[in-house]
Amino acid sequence: MADQAAAPAPVGDPDDTFSKLLRRNASQRGARPASREKEYGIWQTWSWAEVEREVRALACGLATLGLKRGDRVAIVGDNRPRLYWTMVAAQAIGGVPVPVYQDAVADEMKYVLDHAEVRFVVAEDQEQVDKVLAVREFCPRIDAVVFCDPRGMRHYDQSFLRQYDRMQDEGRAYDAAHPGFYEAEIATGKGSDVAIMLYTSGTTGTPKGCMLSFDNLIVTARNAAEREHLTEAEEVLAYLPMAWVGDNIFSLAQAYATGFCVSCPESSATVMTDLRELGPTYFFAPPRIFENVLTQVMIRMEDASWIKRRMFHYFMNLAKRVGIAILDGKPAGIIDRLLYALGGVLVYGPLKNTLGFSRIRLAYTAGEAIGPDIFDFYRSLGMNIKQLYGMTETAVFICIQPDGQVKPDTVGTPAPEVEVKIADNGEVLVRSPGVFLRYYKNDAATAEAKTGDGWVHTGDAGYFDGDGHLKIIDRAKDVGRLTGGGLFAPKYLENKLKFFPFIKEAVAFGHGRDHAAAFINIDREATGNWAERQGLAYASYSDLAARAEVYDQIRQCIEKVNADLAADPKLAASQIRRFLILHKELDADDGELTRTRKVRRSFVAERYAKQIGALYSNADAIDIEAQVTFEDGRKGMLKAKLKIAEAHTFAPTDTVRRAG
Amino acid sequence: MTQPPRKIGGTLLKVDGISLAFGGVKALSDISFEIREHEILAIIGPNGAGKSSMLNVINGFYHPQQGAITYKGATRSQMRPHEAAAQGIARTFQNIALFRGMSTLDNIMTGRLLKMKTNFFMQALYWGPALKEEIAHREVVERIIDFLEIQSIRKTPVGRLPYGLQKRVELGRALAAEPELLLLDEPMAGMNVEEKEDMCRFILDVNDEFGTTIALIEHDMGVVMDISDRVVVLDYGRKIADGRPDQVRANQDVIDAYLGVGH
Amino acid sequence: MADLFFFLEVLIGGLLSGVLYSLVALGFVLIYKASGVFNFAQGAMVLLAGLTFVRLTQILGSEHPWDGMFVLALAITFAVMIALAFAVERVVLRPLVNQAQIIMFMATIGLTFFLEGAAQGVWGSQVHRLNLGVSELPIIIGDVLLPPLDLVAAAAAAAMVAGLAVFFSRTRIGRALRAVADDHQAALSVGIPLQSIWVVVWSVAGIVALFAGLVWGAKLGVQFSLTLVALKALPVLILGGFTSIPGAIIGGLIIGASEKLAEVFIGPLVGGAIENWFPYMLALVFLLFRPQGLFGEKIIKRV
Repeated sequence: MADQAAAPAPVGDPDDTFSKLLRRNASQRGARPASREKEYGIWQTWSWAEVEREVRALACGLATLGLKRGDRVAIVGDNRPRLYWTMVAAQAIGGVPVPVYQDAVADEMKYVLDHAEVRFVVAEDQEQVDKVLAVREFCPRIDAVVFCDPRGMRHYDQSFLRQYDRMQDEGRAYDAAHPGFYEAEIATGKGSDVAIMLYTSGTTGTPKGCMLSFDNLIVTARNAAEREHLTEAEEVLAYLPMAWVGDNIFSLAQAYATGFCVSCPESSATVMTDLRELGPTYFFAPPRIFENVLTQVMIRMEDASWIKRRMFHYFMNLAKRVGIAILDGKPAGIIDRLLYALGGVLVYGPLKNTLGFSRIRLAYTAGEAIGPDIFDFYRSLGMNIKQLYGMTETAVFICIQPDGQVKPDTVGTPAPEVEVKIADNGEVLVRSPGVFLRYYKNDAATAEAKTGDGWVHTGDAGYFDGDGHLKIIDRAKDVGRLTGGGLFAPKYLENKLKFFPFIKEAVAFGHGRDHAAAFINIDREATGNWAERQGLAYASYSDLAARAEVYDQIRQCIEKVNADLAADPKLAASQIRRFLILHKELDADDGELTRTRKVRRSFVAERYAKQIGALYSNADAIDIEAQVTFEDGRKGMLKAKLKIAEAHTFAPTDTVRRAG
Repeated sequence: MTQPPRKIGGTLLKVDGISLAFGGVKALSDISFEIREHEILAIIGPNGAGKSSMLNVINGFYHPQQGAITYKGATRSQMRPHEAAAQGIARTFQNIALFRGMSTLDNIMTGRLLKMKTNFFMQALYWGPALKEEIAHREVVERIIDFLEIQSIRKTPVGRLPYGLQKRVELGRALAAEPELLLLDEPMAGMNVEEKEDMCRFILDVNDEFGTTIALIEHDMGVVMDISDRVVVLDYGRKIADGRPDQVRANQDVIDAYLGVGH
Repeated sequence: MADLFFFLEVLIGGLLSGVLYSLVALGFVLIYKASGVFNFAQGAMVLLAGLTFVRLTQILGSEHPWDGMFVLALAITFAVMIALAFAVERVVLRPLVNQAQIIMFMATIGLTFFLEGAAQGVWGSQVHRLNLGVSELPIIIGDVLLPPLDLVAAAAAAAMVAGLAVFFSRTRIGRALRAVADDHQAALSVGIPLQSIWVVVWSVAGIVALFAGLVWGAKLGVQFSLTLVALKALPVLILGGFTSIPGAIIGGLIIGASEKLAEVFIGPLVGGAIENWFPYMLALVFLLFRPQGLFGEKIIKRV
């Protein structure tokens, strides 16, 4: 596969749009399942041939509404086969789908509908229609609103409202009256056409409409599917928002390119049940979901009988020891292998079965760092979960962890046909067949995100390790330098610290300093429980935070992080030498966190300037006087003496293995 | 479930001069009002006004000493609960009365019991027409589950559900009987704002989609004014007002009763 | 080796008689589940069923087991038990609807004396032999002796229990029964006629009693002491839980096996005859640690 890396997308591929892929699937595997949806408690299935008929009727129906090539069609609702078909139908006759987040409030929806100059909206149900109606007066270009579920819509008599089924009926009539229309339309479409517009919020500013071509989506999806050996037999549950690029790749592009079946959950509340019933083979979830599932398992094990609990812990320890090696095809003792097999029957199998993970061949996670414990938990069960790195502007796939070489703190090697380079300032740049066309009506932003020769600025800082795996350390703009020249990536340090259960929040300092230092917030519950088990009496959070025993625990955590850092040639210099444990939790009410619980670094640096100064002095304690907001809204002053502690640092260990 | 769009029609149920006493305590004295087809009628009043007693008379839990009940043209002096159910009167309770050990699905299925026709032995064998019938009923129940958006708790024993969802399941069980008259005893008691909004929407949708006539007891005046077509006000077992929400709101007796004046 | 066979023989014998305890306990559970009434008269129903049947075979002139008259007698007894269910509903339950549990319990005690008196008044109080046509020669497997009557009874009981389980969980009436057991008022509001349900439950309990009467009658002879069988069901219920059909089965097996094992292996050490009180001791110990029984619903009151 390496020799293909620089090859351009195959020229003249006959199936270069989704409607052409659909035609191919309907003729090659017409009877195989294509879409599935749970309705009235039963899984309903449509074959590829049936889907083609549905899409054809829809496409003609949209044509009767007056859809012209290039018109934008907004799609809004939960994951439903009908909405996926609508996307393909719109594309078939040259429309550009603009999926909108189903939980968008009216204002957000207004922005997208207006900015994208949407002419048609296809909405799932009354709830979404109501939102569209609320903003319609600001979006005069909307000509028609189509709704799928007629429930509650009886008294809506607006002339621009259409029922999905009726539109399909009209489409069938149109199709009969205009033979060859549909065929001619799909023949007109080509791979370089705009396939979809996805609005990305970005970290700042207004959302941008990222335009991706069919080639972007299909070539990227196909390349990744080939690398991972996906087949038409995969089972996939589509449960993440349709407006998110990942869902377009996993639930549409790869499904159409490979021919596998995509199932939609009954409702957003039944996802876990549906997952269990379906048993997907190919699954994506953000780290948060894997974390929640693990927490639930642990809670349920606490309530289980002691036999079960003992068995669970015994075999999970075994799995921790040998499971990952076995998954990666590395050597393991024969006894361990036998025990692991027994564990498969007694624990891992039933556990995966209740979670709906028993058939998973390939699982991805991405979006943010996943805790190593969580990641290892699933891998040790024999689940091939891997991290990937991607973004909307590259049609997802940039890097994927290769099978058998999964390193928890890297995102793997570049996907097929993807070129990755590191800019002088440490930023990761990407060029691939998936690189987006442009942002809609925003050339300035396009020029900022993409160079003239097709390199995309990811905004992330990272580097390749000795094995050619990309390691993402932080947002490029947040990465600083120590005075000695070493890299300082605060988020990277903080994430590593936060993976310890004792540590709730961490704020790392080091840019323009000679070493790194950190504020720590202990986790009230985890640390409190630990203290109780130790028989450690404490009066309050600030009392607990000041205990020498707690300082010892935190020091051990920090030293583990330092040991990790020492093994990393680029980051070894940013080991944390001094730290203090804050007397209070960082709080959004005090302005220290954003409402989404992200640390407001500059605010903290300002408010705690004295303490930061102390971290970089020889002092072993600092008085603190802070204004706090009590739960009842009163404000008060808190006085305390904060200890400053030192942690061991380690000599860099990995100086031998360097990239060749 | 094939009712045309609702249009308030003639009288569905009429209570005429109902009086009910427990021992010497008068719960209801000489109450008369009517419930019209396809309407939403709210029965309101201060605590102890006799609202629940009124519902209990209508569905036959209580037998009044005087008065008559005319339902669908037939007049009688009292109802019996399972007759009322068989005649198309379903209800929910102020203190949820679900079958706590059973799943949501089974609870709603019990609402179909009166619609089941196959005989005992076929049922016992779970075979032939009985199986087919079971599937048909299951379909109706699944539509209700979908309608009330409770798919995620289909198999959960209701005893484990939060209060708001239990209320919804109870409504589902009442709907399963495809009632003509639905009696709701404080359907929104103890709910938070969001749950109340949901419940209001379901009540309106039921009335709208299936044309079901609804009589409900409610304390939240906002809700009552929003969703009901007519309001009957009881106070100390007597009827003090009866009319459209705006009329009732302006009625001096009602204002007095709610402010505790004049007694 | 001989010891092992002896142990097995005692164990299996215990389990088989346990099945019979289960049968009686089952009658209690059915009625308790459906109406919350502890039916003290279950033992009397066993006596009534056994006595009615055996006297009918004599009156009708049944020559040997399973001839025409034997079957007719069985059918009539069956009808009597169902008639009893109707009568109990009409005369006892309906007037007492919505009364406290203790009152219903007292009513079943009254019913007990009535049934015992009536059965013996009508049919007399002699001991009658009952032959079900099952060979009395023990079946020998290895060195283990197995009484065939117990085997047949166990098999029949198993079939009956399986049938009841399906009936309760899958059918409309089963669902209605569970509904009534759960909440009377709600059951009424969905149109379940409480009276019919009670008739069904008491009929089923009557049939179970008939079955127990036949088997116990064949073992012990049909006589007044059959009512005492009901007492043996008590520890079974405590063990298994008052509301659980599987609990009644397992509880019966445990009681049956443990009392026989205790009698044979512990009895000699303490001077024998512990079979009679051992189950109650076991039940007492159980009450201390798991008052809801093995399978009973945990009693959690919501505040």
